[in-house]
Amino acid sequence: MRNILRKNLQTSITMILCGICSVLVINSQPSAGKRTAEVKSKDNTNAIPVYGHWKNFTTKDGLPNNHAYCVRIDGKRVLVGTHEGMAVYEDGKWTNYTTKDGLAHNGVVSIDVSELTGDVWIGTLGGLTRWSAGKFETFNQLNSGLPNDLVYCVYCDGKDIWTATGGGAGHYDTYSKQWEIFTEKNAPMHEPWTYGVSAGDGKVYIAAWGGGIIEYTYKTKQFKDYTDPDGEMEIDLLPDDGPVHDITTGTAYADGMLWVSSYFGFCSYDGTHWKGYFDHDSGLASNFINFVRAKGPVVFICSDKGLSSTNGKSWVTYKKNDNNSDGLTIIKNYARNDDSTVVHTTKEIPSSPSIAHNFIIGVDADDNYLWVATEGGVSRGELLK
Amino acid sequence: MKPAFKIITIILLGLIFHVSFLNGQDKQEKQDKQNKKVNYGKAPDEIFPYDKFVKPYKYHFLIPLTFNGAGRELKAPVDLKEVRLGFLGPLSGSIMVPQGKQMLQGATLATEEANKRGGYKGLPYKLMIHNDVGAWGAAANEVVKMDDEKVWAFVGSIDDIVSHVALRAALKLEIFMVCTGDPDPTFTETNIPWTLRVISDDRQGIYALINQIYKKDGHSRVAIIRTGARYGRVAFKIFSENATRVSHPIIIEERFADGETDFKSQLERIMVTNPDAILIWGNAKESALILKQARTIGLKQPVYGSDRMVNPEFLKIAGNLAEGIVTTCQYNPDSDNPKLKVFKASYLKRFGQEPDVFAAHAYDGTNLLIEAINKAGLNRVLIRDLLTDRKTFQGYEGVTGKIVLDQSWNEIRDIYIAKVNNGKFDFTPAPPMDLKQKSFSTTGNY
Repeated sequence: MRNILRKNLQTSITMILCGICSVLVINSQPSAGKRTAEVKSKDNTNAIPVYGHWKNFTTKDGLPNNHAYCVRIDGKRVLVGTHEGMAVYEDGKWTNYTTKDGLAHNGVVSIDVSELTGDVWIGTLGGLTRWSAGKFETFNQLNSGLPNDLVYCVYCDGKDIWTATGGGAGHYDTYSKQWEIFTEKNAPMHEPWTYGVSAGDGKVYIAAWGGGIIEYTYKTKQFKDYTDPDGEMEIDLLPDDGPVHDITTGTAYADGMLWVSSYFGFCSYDGTHWKGYFDHDSGLASNFINFVRAKGPVVFICSDKGLSSTNGKSWVTYKKNDNNSDGLTIIKNYARNDDSTVVHTTKEIPSSPSIAHNFIIGVDADDNYLWVATEGGVSRGELLK
Repeated sequence: MKPAFKIITIILLGLIFHVSFLNGQDKQEKQDKQNKKVNYGKAPDEIFPYDKFVKPYKYHFLIPLTFNGAGRELKAPVDLKEVRLGFLGPLSGSIMVPQGKQMLQGATLATEEANKRGGYKGLPYKLMIHNDVGAWGAAANEVVKMDDEKVWAFVGSIDDIVSHVALRAALKLEIFMVCTGDPDPTFTETNIPWTLRVISDDRQGIYALINQIYKKDGHSRVAIIRTGARYGRVAFKIFSENATRVSHPIIIEERFADGETDFKSQLERIMVTNPDAILIWGNAKESALILKQARTIGLKQPVYGSDRMVNPEFLKIAGNLAEGIVTTCQYNPDSDNPKLKVFKASYLKRFGQEPDVFAAHAYDGTNLLIEAINKAGLNRVLIRDLLTDRKTFQGYEGVTGKIVLDQSWNEIRDIYIAKVNNGKFDFTPAPPMDLKQKSFSTTGNY
């Protein structure tokens, strides 16, 4: 009797413990079916470039101000917008330009270069300036159709120049020399204040404050808006249901993928599906994102806590230490499962020095270098082979 | 033996369930509560978006943002002759000019009094006055001018479109903005760590009205007539959503343009719906005209309104018809607060008129800025850090009452119900919203 009881008891305890173990295992380690493809590939970091050997530039090196708003690579030279003027890096030297040279305002917050003409378009705190053949020409509210003198972003798309301003989006056709202004009156914007613009594949994507993303199609001249489906400011109801928030700060388009930044997180849209990224479920350095730029399959994300880059699968983040000039390059493979649990792998590589500052406002990359505009100067990283 | 085996198994299972599952559940609930201590905007659970159905993937505004940029290391300039504060308000070209003038007077009085106390280490404070003209985009240019003028921080504005545009520019230029007159909830919902607001927002006013209209006064079929301006659009969205959440969707929404004087067609459409209460959301003049015309065509229902009714112009135009009108106010202008009494007397002496809500809050906001500069010194980031630490100025006693900032630096102190009685508004604290005691309809599918 006792033996039977003991045996039954042992069997029941064993079964229960096995059951508990299996529950714990299932909860802590997602099944193979649940895992996403990127997590299976542990060495997926080769898919995105990693930069290092940082060189930092400040006023000591010739910048007009350490508060750098933007950076744009233009062939062999690099254009940097700062609070006190534009700086051009060429042949190892910086040359500065201010209102004395013809800039609309010394606060240069956005720069783009026309692939068609080579003209440099400069968005400033006091108007839009075209730098062409050595001459500066200014467009403002009084002498042109520029919607507002505070130009947060300028984007060259062939003959078309797009601006995101404090009073709407502006479109300048350099062939017809005609301006168009898009506000809440003629586009599906909730408000006319806009902060970012990019274009590709016949479409323009405007980051509209409070209005999500406004898509404009050249061919049909039609607009379409993408907003956060939950419609609430204080929450994001579901992670991948659309833009993470209606207040957007920038857009970037490349390789058929739209990337959208906000002060609430980050998201991407492949034309069919939206995917949201937050600092708690991805390699994103911070949810507060100032600017975004895409190069091929990789997007660079300028946040207040460092620079992140991703291809949607792997993440590389560059962060400076608080107490010295060194920092870390953090490589992560993050993935969110269907049940919202998160799995990841992390690799940290020390860098000495690191980027100039963690508050990143602008970025640009070419085949060999990554240039970063920060609040503490400009940084240049070399592609690590 | 089988029964004994069953009993032991049940006991063991019970223990295991109790320890692992129930404890886990408790732990999760505790964690949830910790993560979400108080709903954003002091919203009761019953009306928090989607709260009855699903836990949101991400909550915003529950943890204050830090500013991680540079600038704290910058030394104060040594050759200053004055310490400049910016002012942004509607001073011409806007329907809000009377309110803008009051706002400027409130800021001016605070600045003059600070200078009498010695200014900033002997340097006088100077208001750099900017007119936002109530137009889109203009405010952005004015904030850029303030940066060029080297202001240390600024107060502004009233109009929500202006305030939003100014705030984005304030972030770009890193100048702290103290909002003293714009009650648009979305202003602080931009997640920009370069502002705080010293006036309660429309979210608080609307929650109080929802409580008053549906719970206290027992109405269920409410019609809304509101301005088509952003002020009305944002407020309508919040009111309408929350009315629906307490099981009483708005039965009709009518709009009007600012400056409109004939509301007959909108009111006739409302009349057809036979509401049991009407909510008017607009500026004082239009609200008074709507009230008069509503009574003229036979709409006798109780009328509620936005806080902009709390204005002498409303009482003057509406006359006796204003009796019994209920709205909200961000503070109690008749309070026994000694600071308020001194302020009202000084204001009357200096400007020859009674201060309004915008004057009082501009006075508080400007005083807050001045005190922050006196403590932090001439450094924009350090001024920002002090104003947003939610310690130094949390509970600050102003003429409008105690300032209570939430994690998004939005003023969330208790507000007042304002009811017209014998030709003047009476102010009483808005009762707390306790929807759990209300038997709302619970039938139907969820």
